[in-house]
Amino acid sequence: MTDLYSSTSQENQFVISLPELFNRDWVSRYALSHLREVKPVVLDFAGVREIDTSGISLVLLLKRGHETLGRKLVLRNISRPLLAIISSVPGPLAAESKPPKEKFSAFVGSRTIAAAATAASALSTLAEILYWGTLGAFKKLDLKKGALVEQMFQLGFKALGIVALLSLLIGVVLALQTAIQLRMYGAGIFLAPMIGLTMIRELGPMLTAIILAGRTGSATTAEIATMVVGEEVDALKTMGINPIQFVLVPKLWAITLTMPLLSIIATAAGITGGFLVALFYLDISPGLFWNQFTQHVYIKDVAAGIVKSVVFSWLIIWIGAFYGLRVRGGAEAVGRETTASVVTGIFIIIITDAIFSFVF
Amino acid sequence: MTHLPIVEADHITVHYGQHTVLNEVSAEFMPSQITVILGTSGCGKTTLLKTLVGLLTPVSGRVRLFGQPLADQDAPATRDMLKKTGMLFQNGALLGSLTVAENVALPLTLHSALHHDIIDEIVRIKLSQVGMPQAANLYPSELSGGMRKRAALARALALEPPLLFCDEPSAGLDPVTSAGLDELLLKLRESLGITIIVVTHELLSIQRIADSILFLHKGSVLYSGTLEKAREAQTGPIHDFFARHESATPESINDAGNFIVENIL
Repeated sequence: MTDLYSSTSQENQFVISLPELFNRDWVSRYALSHLREVKPVVLDFAGVREIDTSGISLVLLLKRGHETLGRKLVLRNISRPLLAIISSVPGPLAAESKPPKEKFSAFVGSRTIAAAATAASALSTLAEILYWGTLGAFKKLDLKKGALVEQMFQLGFKALGIVALLSLLIGVVLALQTAIQLRMYGAGIFLAPMIGLTMIRELGPMLTAIILAGRTGSATTAEIATMVVGEEVDALKTMGINPIQFVLVPKLWAITLTMPLLSIIATAAGITGGFLVALFYLDISPGLFWNQFTQHVYIKDVAAGIVKSVVFSWLIIWIGAFYGLRVRGGAEAVGRETTASVVTGIFIIIITDAIFSFVF
Repeated sequence: MTHLPIVEADHITVHYGQHTVLNEVSAEFMPSQITVILGTSGCGKTTLLKTLVGLLTPVSGRVRLFGQPLADQDAPATRDMLKKTGMLFQNGALLGSLTVAENVALPLTLHSALHHDIIDEIVRIKLSQVGMPQAANLYPSELSGGMRKRAALARALALEPPLLFCDEPSAGLDPVTSAGLDELLLKLRESLGITIIVVTHELLSIQRIADSILFLHKGSVLYSGTLEKAREAQTGPIHDFFARHESATPESINDAGNFIVENIL
């Protein structure tokens, strides 16, 4: 401390003779707490040749410490350029007044209003997508040539392999677990209607929807969010192009057309998996399997599966678009919204499937 | 030649949440002029530009383009107005999934019934105008910052709009590229009589291109008129803005009064 406080002025102020290099190394060596304890001080800049941000920060902290005591920090023998550098640093922003602690009722109210606003925004997005994809398309059509075919290829054809493979495997696993139980009671023959109805009414459409929520939903959110962040959506608007129609409507049409087909393929793959188990594990002949299958599966079951798959397809595009359009911020926000989109998409699909199961 | 303003902002107020970004801003932009909207960061320049082009809706006041009020984005009248405007965004905002040529062709494809051969030719001409005919088949990610802005300018000019909005055209560009872009804007104004509204805080760029300036400060219009007149300001934010390149002196520094300075060397 002795070399720091080199002299004492007539008002009992400690004079700190600052070094030639008033920088991070020097500031680090002298703990700020020592400087704060002894007040007031005079900073003597006579020997200072260079100052860095650490030095400036120290001066400003001392200055604020003095101000709390109603005094001003003394800078002695300072050169004009150094004073200009120190003085040109803007002061800290005024501390925001801390909001009073929210009452529970106010907390519930504000959260409810926020939730209602989010719901309204989501419904507005859905209405816009459905309008511009149906009635609005007769008023104007801001579509890139070949966009529908391209989207059908991207959303439908490219998902075909994974949808079929996963459904086949799920069909095998489901059938095998069921067959073990059924064989114990000699009821293996009922595997055909069980796997048929489960795949047609429930798992075929739902598995396809979950895979597409992960694949298409995330891609939709990421694409739109990136466009929003990069001002591409704004650019489309300034060109008089409706971004919903340009970006989302081809996806809506493509997924509406391809999802039922994918769902049918998934269902067929799952039933094939069940058939293989029936054939090799339960020794049920193909004819008997088909006979049992057709006795218990009706056209209304197939129709229910197709209706579900269409509804799921709209949900996927809606949720993907909603999370994409609401993004604020940069790359991190794009990732966050994409994750939220997939999680919400799968959740909503399962909830909707449960509702369908009760209704139909 | 008409002397009616081509763009008018009439007491517009814009909020971002609780925060008022523009407060009762009124301005007129005359045809065939380059008007620069300037001010320090956060003063509402880009917000004003986005409001003028209809991307933001004011909570009060209104905007007129070509003498017509700017309504809903999807209203046919607004779409027709937007076809007569071009917008150059700060980062170009080219569609990343399309090539440069496809980006430039986009407004022509969607807003005209031109044969694709004609569109291809227009695209070639527009890209030549901005000095990058070789970049037609490149994607935006393959372009430098300056090239992206030039390509975006070509797209903004595709429909040959009489009105062009530019958001920070010089931002992030080296001085040579920036000067080139300014020259391009001047050439467009001189050869085609385009009205150009530019947001920037680059002093050199302002000096090169501005016919008139609109100075914003904390969301309000502080000055509207010629650059020469603005530079005569002796005090206040306008003076500070133009004098900022000069070295700061203790006398001009607000915070110097909070120290006791003994013996300035």
